[in-house]
Amino acid sequence: MAAAWVRATVGVLAGVMATTAASADTVKVGVIGTFSGPFARWGQQFQQAIEVYQKQHGKSVNGNDIEVIYRDEGGPDPVRSKQITQQLITRDRVNILAGYTFTPNVVAVSDLVNEAKIPLVMLNTPTAAIIRKFSYAVRVSHTLPEVAEPIAAWGLEQGIRRVVTAVSDYTPGYDSETAFIQKFKEGGGEIIESIHIPLATTDFSPFFERILQLKPDALYIFGPGGPPTVGMVNTWSARLKPAGIRLLCTSETMEIDLPQIGKGALGVVSSFHYTETVDNPLNVALRKDLVAMFGPNTVPDLASVQAYDGMELIYRAVAKFGPKVTADEAVSLWKGLAFDSPRGPMQIDPKDGNMIQNVYLRRVEEHDGKLVNINIATFPMVRDPWAIKNPQ
Amino acid sequence: MAFLTILLDGIAYGMVLFIISVGLTVTMGLMRVVNLAHGAFAMVGGYTASVLMAKGLPFAAATALAVVGVAVLGALVELTIYRPLYRKGELPQSLMTFGFTFVAIATLTSLFGSGMQRLPIPPALDGLVDLGFRAYPAYRLFLIAVGLALMALLWLAVDGTLIGARLRAAVDHPRMSQAVGVNVNLLFTLTFASGCALAAFGAVIGAQLLPLDPYYALRYLVLFLVVVGVGGLGNFKGSFAAALVLGVIETAGKYLIPGLAPYVFYGLVLALLLWKPAGLMPARSAA
Repeated sequence: MAAAWVRATVGVLAGVMATTAASADTVKVGVIGTFSGPFARWGQQFQQAIEVYQKQHGKSVNGNDIEVIYRDEGGPDPVRSKQITQQLITRDRVNILAGYTFTPNVVAVSDLVNEAKIPLVMLNTPTAAIIRKFSYAVRVSHTLPEVAEPIAAWGLEQGIRRVVTAVSDYTPGYDSETAFIQKFKEGGGEIIESIHIPLATTDFSPFFERILQLKPDALYIFGPGGPPTVGMVNTWSARLKPAGIRLLCTSETMEIDLPQIGKGALGVVSSFHYTETVDNPLNVALRKDLVAMFGPNTVPDLASVQAYDGMELIYRAVAKFGPKVTADEAVSLWKGLAFDSPRGPMQIDPKDGNMIQNVYLRRVEEHDGKLVNINIATFPMVRDPWAIKNPQ
Repeated sequence: MAFLTILLDGIAYGMVLFIISVGLTVTMGLMRVVNLAHGAFAMVGGYTASVLMAKGLPFAAATALAVVGVAVLGALVELTIYRPLYRKGELPQSLMTFGFTFVAIATLTSLFGSGMQRLPIPPALDGLVDLGFRAYPAYRLFLIAVGLALMALLWLAVDGTLIGARLRAAVDHPRMSQAVGVNVNLLFTLTFASGCALAAFGAVIGAQLLPLDPYYALRYLVLFLVVVGVGGLGNFKGSFAAALVLGVIETAGKYLIPGLAPYVFYGLVLALLLWKPAGLMPARSAA
């Protein structure tokens, strides 16, 4: 009798253990970022935000471990991007892909990812059109027109009519410039001149001296971040600001770059999808944990929130469909999904997988001895303007 | 008046080119060692000054300490890495010094991260100076003054002193110089250390135009090499002339035809080297 009971119990226990073992799987997430070279800040910001997310939400979902495998795209390098993506799919057998900093890198893997039917969350790559090359992808970053149009509208509102545009001489520069010019002209503004500044430029003064002679109401700039961006903003504040020429921009006054730019940036208004000082609970927690885990000088930027939200989507997909989540399942969940992000409310566009999100107007101010961006207005739930103008 | 501003901008930019490259004129030009690590020494100097200033030291003191520190580092590296390379030919020299650059980049990245390093200029240089025809940034006037002073100092040191004469002799005929009593090894160590010190000085002084991040050493390497090459190897008067010509013409070109900006600089370098393949003023002893 006792022996039968023991046998039965063991049998049940064994059954329970067997099912647990079967369901407790490891979900492999391949994250492609820039971890070396001049753009290594991107990868570092991705990774720190992902580690914060995993600290806040645990490293497993319903007993399924989420294992993140980082791979280095190194810079704008489509060949290498394709190679590491192939390795992640065939050798590491990842279930989900996330990442990519540079548009050419993600474009290079579209056939590969479509064929392998791996769900992909784009963590940056802000060129508008590329999402359409993918069958199983969503994007949680921004597009260049999405953030450039609001500042053009604001400039017109402020009575700015004559503008010179000066952008770094590379594809995102042209995209941003085109979006700004289109919106600004639609509103009755005039573009006096458009200048493309080479990426290798060290002395920006001749370009800005020329702009000074053209006497515009304002200057619109776009740079790749780091030294060229800092150079442009500083040359503006040294030469054009005293002459009353205003600055319009998007990503040029990120909090992470402001210490290098200095007080010349005070008062500059920009439009962007993430303002580092918003006080929603997710953002407060993100900032607190970044500082706790990576030191007092750690500041989140667009890469941080984009990676953080990417993890949110991945965790939700695993929670709903389990470790063997397919591309069809994941994308069907993601498209149309509304969720809270450190940047504010967000929704994935049910039509094309782009993000629908607030774009903020922010002004650079000094608080407690630090230069920060403070929101002054919100353009609520902006869809990618390019997608609206170019229906599928 | 725009003309005068552009001319001043061009001269100031030329001076930056001269200040950051003149150290390479010493190590690569005078000593004839392919020193692709010039930018690495410069960068280490810039980072040192930045760290010292963050600790509260004033600009001048931080600069001086960084320059001395990099000179000592340069002397140590010369004794251990460069000395065995002098007789090895150009390929081993390029490979070794290029490798050294990568080590420096990786070290600084792991210590300070990949972001830009803050190196503010002193408040006195931050403002504008009224020149009569317009208010001009004081920092750029300071660059012009520093460039001219550096040029005069080097001219005196290399062309006018016994040490300078010994150095020129030692480069051309090391054995003969040794035979007449010149301590060639010591002279080379000191000269190399001075080249590194100049690199560090240039990085600190020029940081507003060439901002510091770990990729500094590679990003501006071409710029350094162009100035030394166009000037004529080993002649800092040539480097000075080359830096000024390149600075003024590039600045004017960008101002007048911004659409051609990517081509002005390298087009000019190409034209100058086609015209004078050995550089504007090749060193007389380079034969």
